[in-house]
Amino acid sequence: MIIKKLIEKVEGEANLNFEFKDGKISSVDIIFNIYRGIEEILKGKAPRDALVITPRVCGICNHAHLIATVRALEDGLKNSGLEFTLTQKAKDIREFTLICELIQNHIKWLYLTIYPYLEKLLKIERSDSYALKASYVANTVTKAMAIFAGQWPHSSYAVVGGVTCDPTYLDTIQALSYIEDAIRFYEKVVVGINLDDYLSIESISNLDKLGGDFAKILYLLGKNDFNKIGKSFDRFIAFSDSKISKKAKSIITTVSAVEFKFVKEYEQNGSYAKGVKYKNRYFEVGPLARAMINKEPIIKSLHKKYKDATITRVYARIHEVALLLKQAKEILQNLDVTQESCILDSKIDINNISGIGAVEAARGSLIHKIEVENSFIKSYDIITPTQWNLSNNAVAAKAMFGLDSEEIASFVFRTFDVCSVCTTH
Amino acid sequence: MNKLKLLWLQSLTCNGNSHSFFNHSDLFSILAHFELIYFPLIETKYSLQDVLDRKVSCDILIIEGSIKNSLEKNGVDIKELIEYYATKAQHIITAGTCATFGGMFKDYDSENINGFAFNRDVPIDNFAKFKSKLISLPGCPIHPKWLSYVLLMIANNKFIPLDEKNRPQELYNITIHTGCIRNEYFEWKIDTQGFGHKEGCLFYENGCQGPFTKGSCNKILWNDVSSKTIIGTPCFGCTEPDFPKERLFFTKTNMGIPQKMPLEVPKRAYLTITGIAKSFKIKRLERKLIEYKNDN
Repeated sequence: MIIKKLIEKVEGEANLNFEFKDGKISSVDIIFNIYRGIEEILKGKAPRDALVITPRVCGICNHAHLIATVRALEDGLKNSGLEFTLTQKAKDIREFTLICELIQNHIKWLYLTIYPYLEKLLKIERSDSYALKASYVANTVTKAMAIFAGQWPHSSYAVVGGVTCDPTYLDTIQALSYIEDAIRFYEKVVVGINLDDYLSIESISNLDKLGGDFAKILYLLGKNDFNKIGKSFDRFIAFSDSKISKKAKSIITTVSAVEFKFVKEYEQNGSYAKGVKYKNRYFEVGPLARAMINKEPIIKSLHKKYKDATITRVYARIHEVALLLKQAKEILQNLDVTQESCILDSKIDINNISGIGAVEAARGSLIHKIEVENSFIKSYDIITPTQWNLSNNAVAAKAMFGLDSEEIASFVFRTFDVCSVCTTH
Repeated sequence: MNKLKLLWLQSLTCNGNSHSFFNHSDLFSILAHFELIYFPLIETKYSLQDVLDRKVSCDILIIEGSIKNSLEKNGVDIKELIEYYATKAQHIITAGTCATFGGMFKDYDSENINGFAFNRDVPIDNFAKFKSKLISLPGCPIHPKWLSYVLLMIANNKFIPLDEKNRPQELYNITIHTGCIRNEYFEWKIDTQGFGHKEGCLFYENGCQGPFTKGSCNKILWNDVSSKTIIGTPCFGCTEPDFPKERLFFTKTNMGIPQKMPLEVPKRAYLTITGIAKSFKIKRLERKLIEYKNDN
């Protein structure tokens, strides 16, 4: 028996075709239909134009695409023999704006996806104005971000050698107020306790300290078997070093190094999205992967009991917001605005380079590869996080196998924070 | 009083306009004026399937994304669907440069991808057909407050003065240059000397299109706090029919003078003013704005 579902409001749509055998899902085709040909559009353009074009891959993680592009260009310049090091200020500002994008993404996912669809699935009368909550946080953190990046979405403020902004302390103080607003929201509404107390929770035996919407969602997930279902390959990977991740993989809790050369994309029948594997194996990317690689104590504790079940995956994303808020505050408190913003001349030639840029985006590792020949882009390859998680037979599919209802499976699918526009690009 | 029904339909898009509008600081008081039929980020009582099945009605149609021939969602031709609702609606808003002029994704398949009523700057059939109820809101993405202005004007039954491309004059009859905090440097023709500086103008070397791009980014700030040119990024002309042009971080010059003049400024006038401005040295504008010194 085949059941077809249209999954909407996932940054576009996806079609899921479930095949049932003996009442259980035996296979699922995940189909994304809208293709825009962005890699093709980039061919023949001036290399820096990619800084304006790639953010338009995605309305919700546009900033991650910008950072991946600038890193790919800088990696290429270094490979071609140019020696330079960004100032700490430029690195910190890029990290800060990226963090803001992740926060707004995770909070939107919690309140626009997880809460409404879980209540719908469990036939619970809508109990709260979730969109209002999502809007408040998205609004606040993107203001903080725009102080440096000019705007969100679709900023192009990261350029080879640094950033275009040259903030004053007037700016950093204002941004800090916005971040403190977002922290207050997280404390009062999401976790119900203060941030430091929340971050001191390292074991599931202390989860009773939690309040707020987070406690409510964990209760609902636990009561409805989401601590047992949604398990997948239990293999995790990340490709960028930051405070929340390392360039590494985690298999059965052993963390080891990774190299770009083992990442391979492949065509999939019937979908515009390409699949991707590492050494011919599927890996999960995203907040759970980052936490496993970084050995976050509370995630390890959840994982020990529930493995990579849905509850662990959901927890990891909401937990990451706490880590990001703390970091955002620390970066602003320590930012030295007296350093140079951009250390390379804006006219430096980008003639013949080949580079890779990786970034930990909201949904996981985003990889951009650029080749420039005679000052024009010869090829541009974008591998998005959702390609890792959402290809046929990959991580999300495996998490849905064996379930007896397409409604439950669709919710499990949504917990991966699906992005249709990124998957096809 | 019956509220006007608001339907937001997506074609070939990155979702950036939806997210930009969702960022509006007064989002929910604006939406309170309408019955929200469908919006890609917020739960409403109708599903996308209801919209695809033509089961919903709409008074205001907002279109996001460029229109591609034979593009389908769940077996439904999106171009036909948009034209169906466009015929029903009293007002049609093209939200963003893609929906208005074709935008960035047009480059991939130019013949088959257009705006709803324009092929770049050339009006197509839909323009003649829907001109009386069409409002063009280009921008990549759309500014949330440009859209809320139009929606609230409609809700209050007010007349919106439009230009020849049906853009609201109150939003597009100024340039991005209007209100730019670097204007003093523009007046005295002082370049920013690369990126990452508070000082200087980006028009002369770094590709800024602000002086000839229509829009109000520096009058109605982004995210209520900033804009590209404020933080030292050139304006890329994202509200214009030919967005994106090429070599966006460089100004094309002729004998050291930008090839493209500020909007409707004759070259001779520009050259005269430039000659005079450059003959003076304004010391204050040559200095760093702020000296951060630890030793005094």
